Amino acid sequence: MSTSVVGKRIPKIDSKEKVLGTAEYAGDMRMKGMLYGKVVRCMEYAHARVKSIDFKEALKVPGVVKCLGPDDVTQKGYNTTIMKLLVPEEFCEVFGEIAEMYVFNKHVKYQGDAVCGVIAETEEAAERAAAKIKIKYEPLPVVMTAEESKKPGTFQFTKLKPGNLAGEFDERVFPGKAYGWPDAETGKMGDDLADECDLIVEGNFQVPKQKQCQMENHAYVALYDDRDKLHCWTSTQMPKPVQVLLAELFELPMSRMRVIQTVVGGGFGVRLGMIGEPHACAMAMAVPGRPVKVEFLREEDWLASETRFPGKYDMKMGFKKDGTPVFVEANFCAEKGGYYTHGNGPVFCAAAFVHGMYKWRSMRQRGQSYFTNVVPTGAYRGYGNPQTSFVQEQLIEEACYKLGLDPVEWRKKWHKSVGDETWLKGVTYASDGLDDCIDQATKAFKWYEKKKKYAKQKGKKRRGIGMAVMNHTSGAWPMLLEHTVCTAKLNEDCTVELMASISDLGTGGHTAMTQMAADTLGWPMEDIHLKSGDSDICGFDIGAHASRTVYCAGPAIIEACESVKKQLLERAAQLLEARVEDLEMNSKKVISVKGNPNKSIDARDITKQGVYNFFDPVSGKQIGIPGQIQGYSSFLANHCSPPFGACLSEVEVDTETGQVNVLELVNAHDIGRAIHPPSVEGQLEGGAQQGLGFVVSEDIYYDEKGLCLNNDFTDYKMPGPADMPQAKILLVESAPDPIAPMGAKSCGESALMGPIGSVANAIADAIGIRFYEAPITPERILKGIKESGKIFQ
Amino acid sequence: MPSSRILPEFELLLPESVAEAVKLLKKYKDKATVMAGGTDVIVSGTQGFATPYVISLAKVSELDYVKFSKSGGLRIGALATLQNVADTKEVKANYPALYKSAAINGTPQTRNMGTVVGNVMRASPSGDCACALLALDAKIVFQGPRGKREVAIDDFFIDYKKTDRKDDELAVEIKVPAPKKGVVSAFNRITRTTLDLSKVNAAVCLTVEKGVCKSVRIAMGAVAPKTIRLFESENLLKGQKISPSILEAISASIGGQLSPIDDVRSTAEYRRDVSAVLVRRTIEEAIA
Repeated sequence: MSTSVVGKRIPKIDSKEKVLGTAEYAGDMRMKGMLYGKVVRCMEYAHARVKSIDFKEALKVPGVVKCLGPDDVTQKGYNTTIMKLLVPEEFCEVFGEIAEMYVFNKHVKYQGDAVCGVIAETEEAAERAAAKIKIKYEPLPVVMTAEESKKPGTFQFTKLKPGNLAGEFDERVFPGKAYGWPDAETGKMGDDLADECDLIVEGNFQVPKQKQCQMENHAYVALYDDRDKLHCWTSTQMPKPVQVLLAELFELPMSRMRVIQTVVGGGFGVRLGMIGEPHACAMAMAVPGRPVKVEFLREEDWLASETRFPGKYDMKMGFKKDGTPVFVEANFCAEKGGYYTHGNGPVFCAAAFVHGMYKWRSMRQRGQSYFTNVVPTGAYRGYGNPQTSFVQEQLIEEACYKLGLDPVEWRKKWHKSVGDETWLKGVTYASDGLDDCIDQATKAFKWYEKKKKYAKQKGKKRRGIGMAVMNHTSGAWPMLLEHTVCTAKLNEDCTVELMASISDLGTGGHTAMTQMAADTLGWPMEDIHLKSGDSDICGFDIGAHASRTVYCAGPAIIEACESVKKQLLERAAQLLEARVEDLEMNSKKVISVKGNPNKSIDARDITKQGVYNFFDPVSGKQIGIPGQIQGYSSFLANHCSPPFGACLSEVEVDTETGQVNVLELVNAHDIGRAIHPPSVEGQLEGGAQQGLGFVVSEDIYYDEKGLCLNNDFTDYKMPGPADMPQAKILLVESAPDPIAPMGAKSCGESALMGPIGSVANAIADAIGIRFYEAPITPERILKGIKESGKIFQ
Repeated sequence: MPSSRILPEFELLLPESVAEAVKLLKKYKDKATVMAGGTDVIVSGTQGFATPYVISLAKVSELDYVKFSKSGGLRIGALATLQNVADTKEVKANYPALYKSAAINGTPQTRNMGTVVGNVMRASPSGDCACALLALDAKIVFQGPRGKREVAIDDFFIDYKKTDRKDDELAVEIKVPAPKKGVVSAFNRITRTTLDLSKVNAAVCLTVEKGVCKSVRIAMGAVAPKTIRLFESENLLKGQKISPSILEAISASIGGQLSPIDDVRSTAEYRRDVSAVLVRRTIEEAIA
């Protein structure tokens, strides 16, 4: 199609407003009569009971409207997570959603837990008053690790989870509390096959509590209006599920609970479910008729919104001499934080992505999470997969080294492919572009030349190269209820308004949706407008997560547009007295009988007549076909078309200081088809930065009292622009997925995994020492070198 | 760390001359904080640090200068920003240690606001310019009710964030001696990411004649409660021909002169280990 925009390097539809700074984020909002709410958090303790709250001095601060304590707001418990909405009920029971979080708490379970709130005429007055609230606490013992948490006699976080075991693989779904598959021949599982192996490699790894560090701080405006309707403007990633959660929490019918997603400045999982919405809404309910804005400070982000799952990740692998993979056995024991958020999700998914990668004879993985007195863990780009990359890809490389095998060829030979089970049991791959990814990446990176060059290097600075592959997912069917609704309203001038609750977190998702609509209709992009994020008009969508937007929401857009097109052609067929299958529509919206261009009608006449000119006042006869055309789709995904990827990186390690300089990174991604290539590349470059942070510099640190030591960018160190290597992104389109819309597999989360495993491997390659704790800091490297007794000269 | 971006309440005083500023300091003494660029004062304000008065030098334009003469050396006014100093070509040519400590300090934004004099006055043990200026044997010029006073930087740092400044004195200028023949200097630091505070830094200033070290000053930061001189290492080097073996001896001497700590940025062990490397590399860079 000559007008096709899919695959074109066109500007993103929101680029101008973002560049000019006119895009309105929740924090930019100003409304008539707007008040400011400040959430008062417990900063002094990680675990304490609130003995008393004294608002007296705070209420004297000029401009203060109200102070709200735990008893002044809804007493209903909730959970920030939305697992119960996303999974079928029987799974929900397994995940065991626990609604034991409260808007304001009398029992503080981590530093940053919300205790009370102030509403004032100005932000300054709210802050000054907050500082004058006197809260007395009774400190309680603090639990910081899974080891401490599981000890008998330790404080129990919830009656529903005895022994503080927040999650493990439930026996009802996972026999033996494990995920994987038995050996087809012997029926043995995991390391029960150890006797049959020539080589066993294993490691006890530690993975970090990484923070999403999205650019926009969390911000909300809430209003309880004069018709008793509660409105909440929020930077959430999932407006529709949040609407349901808020309606439940404040006991309102959904018709009286409106959620409006504002422009979102990055999500990466931190905005899954609710964060500050309950507080903003509770404050708005206390001052009906006046909007209340609640904006988090950057410092609050580390204290009050979820992080990646940290913990101990042990893995063991067995191989035959010739490299044949026999078994993988693993256990990920995570530290959960103070509340049961995201259940055991990422711990399971860590195992799932082991499941989807290699052709072991048997795989067995277990996982647990234990409550601790730190900010709860939740979703962060990759959802368990980055942890797996750090662990699994290092052990594969080590095994290949010990067996004298080429890790590139080994991976090509033993990765799963079409027909094999993906991350989810029973769901098989329909496409596989991994070999092409590996081939293109090794060529662009000059892998073999570098391997040779660095084999005999000398000196105090050492170069190393490393590789990692990954599998991910496009949406999370059938684990999650992947469902998106789209309504396509055809305007009177034959332009289209798409209404769908599809989030664009800065990813380019809305651009891709508009491109897909334009190609489906064969019309220019400027004739299509996507209205999203307002729960009053948009149908269901579970939000932007699990790399699902193009894959799961895209088809809803396509189907709604196909429906519009079909209805137009049907009307044209009637008016032209022709059969639908004989008609064609060009990019100028003229519908004609194939081979007979004279017999044609302008689609704009059909849409206009349908609304305005359907009746001849003289003859009294109907003109054309009356009625406005609307297309509709309620699309349910039926697969998850996992993409693969291969990443190679080169580092230089300063053996005297332990500093790592990541010099080059090539990331090849099995995209199938790139709808908007610049956005896909952007996803892959941005993900690389977060992957590097995981592996070399990022972690949250606490003191012995459980108080955070680095809740700011002064001491939480993400790699900045000057730290980024030369990154080459290769979009591999040789394996379009037959199930995916237009062949497109996902790219949202995929970019993070490869850099983690490959940089860890490159460090080990450079100095011959493997590191089991992430981030691999200079301190750890220098210590490792000292302990190894190695001398680099 | 608190969760507020609202500054504590204080009265902002805006003198327009040094004389006026000194008068205010005489009146308010330790109840007033002097602010030049504000990159430290304002940030520490959001973290609860507060005095009832803040004396901003924003309008004391007579302090906005970087002056150099071959005989008189370098003079840096209290309002000269890190970027001003880094942009002064005589600084780059004659004082490479100072140049580098200013040019890589903080971020482009803070370099445009923060001042070199402020970096020294804050007396953070990890201050980069403080470290370079200690190696360069700078002097700090104060103006107070009793007139002018010059303090050698060696006598200025007393303890953690404690200095020789009297609470009614205004630091108006830092002077760096005129470059003598054969004087070389260098500065290096180790950070977690490129834009960061130093977890260790080091500066050296040497006079070398025919390969022999005639005089030397070695300074280090973030390895003790204050920026320190490594006298023991200096004594090893003085009068010696600079050779790999002497550098090795210097490296071996360093650990014992430090009292580093474990903190969120690094460990004492790491700081001790890399200090030897950092000093050696900085000497090598200076004489290269």
